[in-house]
Amino acid sequence: MAAVIAAFIQFAQPTHLLAVVALGLLVRSASPIIAFVLGLLTGSIAIAFAMRETPSTLVLLGIAAVAGMIAALARPLPILVASVLAFVTGVALALNSPPQAITTPEAIKEQITTGNAAVLLLAGSAWLAAKATRPWRRIGVRIAGSWIAASAILVLALRLAR
Amino acid sequence: MTVRVLRIAPIAAAFVFITSPAFAHTGETAGGFLAGITHPVFGPDHIIAMVAVGMWGVFLGAPAIWLLPIVFPLVMALGGVLGIIGVPLPAVEAGIASSAIVLGLMVALAARPPLWVAAVLVGAFAIFHGYAHGQELPDGANAVAFSAGFVIATGLLHLTGIAFGLLARWPAGRLAVRGAGGAIALIGLAYLGGLM
Repeated sequence: MAAVIAAFIQFAQPTHLLAVVALGLLVRSASPIIAFVLGLLTGSIAIAFAMRETPSTLVLLGIAAVAGMIAALARPLPILVASVLAFVTGVALALNSPPQAITTPEAIKEQITTGNAAVLLLAGSAWLAAKATRPWRRIGVRIAGSWIAASAILVLALRLAR
Repeated sequence: MTVRVLRIAPIAAAFVFITSPAFAHTGETAGGFLAGITHPVFGPDHIIAMVAVGMWGVFLGAPAIWLLPIVFPLVMALGGVLGIIGVPLPAVEAGIASSAIVLGLMVALAARPPLWVAAVLVGAFAIFHGYAHGQELPDGANAVAFSAGFVIATGLLHLTGIAFGLLARWPAGRLAVRGAGGAIALIGLAYLGGLM
């Protein structure tokens, strides 16, 4: 249970939430979600092989900025592009959530929980965005995209400048 | 059911941001978000200008009423980037005070210029507001939560302005909204003159 809670806390970072929710605003089919899961698996395997530190935070912020901007502009994204974006997000998210546990079984449990939380959030935000068929709801989705993009752009600039 | 979920979702999202994680890795997320969302509240010149943007949006009508809350944060972020990377921008404080004067006057006069004129005007002022806040953005692990809180607060001020501006549907409300616009312009003038 401790590993599960730890994994949820590990996942619930603003950078992760911004990137996954922004991506969710663009997802219109199952393919990007599958690509996201594959990305999570790839990133988790990379962690298992003890890769060195990666710029995954910057990548996630960049994805939040781009995906948020696309959602704000209300431009439909081709499934292939959305799937590639989802795969990269999955990889970056897994690399940015290294398990804190010392033992291998606990670490695997943490990583699986992190992945489940991420997929649930992605599917949930995609579902909400897909339900936004009325004009005022579509405006709500665009405003959410704009706010996410603005937040991500500010922090991205801060991280790159200092 | 869906409507209920949509109503609860922003509150749930806010709680997720406010929740304080136990790991040091995650930084002071709660402090960052709360600091960010309260940051604009402590700048009355920022508040009145943001509320004026929302009120003016009502007078401009669709699509401006919903275009401004979408475009303003993005342009403001660009201004923030200029502030962060240190691009010199003259008279930032005067620009912010001027934004209150001009936007307040637009509301007071119930002005309805072409959309592109309104967009350029609001966008230019967004650069000044973003620049000032970009310079104050804290570095560290809580920067994301701070900026998210700050952007959300700015957006909520717009929505507050829109909500108040909708009173203009009634004659007495229209008078109140235009009067508020005049008051905002006067406060902006006081800021520009160094009286506040």
